[in-house]
Amino acid sequence: MALLEVQGITKVFGHGHLEVRALDGVSLTVEAGELVALMGPSGSGKTTLLLCISLILEPTSGTVVFDGQTIYRDGATWLDVRRLRREKIGFVFQTANLIPFLTARENVLFPLTLVGTAPKVAAARVMELLEYMEISARADYLPALLSGGEQQRVAIARALANRPQLILADEPTASLDTARGKKVMALLKRIAREHRTAVVTVTHDPRMIEGFDVIYHLKDGRLENSPEST
Amino acid sequence: MDLAVRDLKLHKGRFLATVLGVGLLFTIVLTMNGVYRGNVFEGTALITHTGPDLWVVERDRGGPFNEQSSLPEILADSVAAVPGVAQASPFIYYPVERSIKGVSRRFSIIGYEVFGGLGGPRELTRGRPITQAHYEMVAHEKLGVRMGEKVPLGLHTFTVVGLTREAVATDGEPLVYLSLADAQEFLFQRDNEEVRNQRERQRRSLAAQGVSPAQVERLLPHLAPDTHIINAVLVRLEPGADRVQVATHIRDWLYLSVFTTQEEVELVIRGRLARMSAQLLFFRTLLLLVSVVIISLVIYTFTMEKIRSIAVMKLIGAPNWTVVRMILEESLLMTVSSFLIGLGLIYSIVDLFPRKILLLPGDTMFTFLVALVGGFLASVLGVWQVLRTPPGLALGGQ
Repeated sequence: MALLEVQGITKVFGHGHLEVRALDGVSLTVEAGELVALMGPSGSGKTTLLLCISLILEPTSGTVVFDGQTIYRDGATWLDVRRLRREKIGFVFQTANLIPFLTARENVLFPLTLVGTAPKVAAARVMELLEYMEISARADYLPALLSGGEQQRVAIARALANRPQLILADEPTASLDTARGKKVMALLKRIAREHRTAVVTVTHDPRMIEGFDVIYHLKDGRLENSPEST
Repeated sequence: MDLAVRDLKLHKGRFLATVLGVGLLFTIVLTMNGVYRGNVFEGTALITHTGPDLWVVERDRGGPFNEQSSLPEILADSVAAVPGVAQASPFIYYPVERSIKGVSRRFSIIGYEVFGGLGGPRELTRGRPITQAHYEMVAHEKLGVRMGEKVPLGLHTFTVVGLTREAVATDGEPLVYLSLADAQEFLFQRDNEEVRNQRERQRRSLAAQGVSPAQVERLLPHLAPDTHIINAVLVRLEPGADRVQVATHIRDWLYLSVFTTQEEVELVIRGRLARMSAQLLFFRTLLLLVSVVIISLVIYTFTMEKIRSIAVMKLIGAPNWTVVRMILEESLLMTVSSFLIGLGLIYSIVDLFPRKILLLPGDTMFTFLVALVGGFLASVLGVWQVLRTPPGLALGGQ
C-alpha cells in the first residue's frame, strides 16, 4: 500500500476571467521510504502541490489518501489536518525558517512539545537528532549565530523530531551553495534509507536529485510525464 | 517552553524601553489616584479630626468649609441650652494669606475656646496646647515655623507653643490654631485708620439726619462693628441623646442649619471636591487608554515582525492556542512589568510632592486589574493577526 496517493488534484485560484488553474488533475503515488523529486519551472505549481498534499491549501477537487486513510475528497477534509502535520509530516523549507528567538535545541524541541512528548524523552530525542545532523556542538546557539548550512541541518532535525512518515521539502537547497546543497540532499537520502521516511522534494536543480527514486516534471499545473526513475 | 519569554529575551532592548515608557504612564495614573485620595483626605481631615456630634452653622448655609457661615458668638450659649447638648463651643475657620517670615503664605485660622472647648488640635508632634487666652499659637508643621518662634499676625505677635501634623485645611494648606478671642480680633477687627474713617462716615450720616453732636458722640461707640462673630458651633451630645431630635430642635427653634460630621464630609466631597474628582477620573481614564494603545501597537509590531515564524509554527502543526498564548503572555508580561515599574516609582517619589498623595491598596489593586484587562485587550490586534496568518506563508507559496 502506498504511503501517499494523490488522485486528480486540481487547484483553481480566482473566478471567471481571473481564474488561474494552478494544478490540473495531478495524480501521483509515494511509497514509504521513497525519494521523490518534483521538478519544473517557476510557476509550474510545485509548491502548490506540496501545499495541497499537506492540506495547508485545500485542493479544489481530487482525492488525497495518506497511510491508507482518505484525508481529502472533493472539497471535504476528513481529519484534523494540523494534527496530521505535527505527527506524520515534516517540513523543510527553502530557507531554514527557524524560529529566531529559540536556540537550535529549542527549535528541534518545539514539535515534540506540540505532541506532548515527556520532557526527558524529548530532550534525549533532540540531542540524538542534533548529533545525527552533526550540529550538537551548537545546540544552544540562536539561529542568527549559525551559518546557512547549519541552520538548514537544524531545520531538518526539527522536521524529523516526531519521526514523520513523510518529509515535504520545498527547494531545501535554494539558499545554499552547491557543496552545502549536496550535503543536505545526501542527508535527506540517508534519512529516507535509514528511517523509511518518504521524502518529496521540490527542486529545479537536476544536480541535487541524483539517486532519487522517482522524478515528476510539472508544467502549467500538469504532470508532464509518467514517473521517471533515475 | 515559554515562547513569550524567549521572544522578549531576544528583543530585551525594545521590551525594556517600552516597559519603562508605559511604566512612567502608570506612575502618572497612580499619582492621579493618590492626588484624588489625598485631596479627599485633606479636604475632610479637619472635619473628621475635629469630629463633633453636630456642626451648627448659619441657616441655609453649607458652612463652614463648603461656604461662608457667620453667626453671633452668643448663639453658642443658646445651642448649649438645647436639651440633649452636653457642650457647645464656638468655632472659627477662616482661610487667609499673610506674610510669614517675609514670604506670603496661605493658611487657615482655627479659633476655638482654649479652656476646654471643642475644635482644638488633638495630637501635637511637639510642644503643648494653647494654655493662655492670648498670643499663643499652635501651627501645622507645613507652615515652616519653629517651636518658640515669634510670628507677627495682624496687630499682635504670637508665640509658637505647639506643632501638629494631624490635619490640614480643606484646601490642603496648613492650619494655625489661635484662641477664639485672638482669632476674632485677627480676622474681624479693622485697623485704626479704617475705624476712624468709619466713625467719620457715621458722624456725618447722623449729623445729616439732624442728630445733635453730643448725641452723635454718645451713639458712636454703640455703632462700632461687632467682632464677636463665629463660623460654627460645635456640639457634643449628652450620652444617649437623640441626634436627630437635637438637630431638629436647633433648626426649628434657633433657625440654624445643623449637620452631622458625616454630612459635613459629604458636603465637601459633593461640593468643592466633586469637579476635581471628575477631572481626575477623566484624566486617569485617558492615561490608561494611552497605555493600552501603546502596548497594543508594540504587541502588533512584535507580532508582525515574527509573522513568518508564526506561519512556520502553524505549518508544523502548532494549534492556534499555542501561538495566541504567546501573544497574550507577551502583552500581559509587558503590562505587569510596566505596572510594577510605575508602582515602584510612585512609592519612591511620593514624599516629594508638595501636597499629600494618598496611595490606597484598594485603588492600586483596582488600577492593576484595569491595566490587566487593558493588556488583554491590547493583544487583540496581535491575536487577530495570528489567526489570519496562513501557514503557507512559511513556504512562500499562496
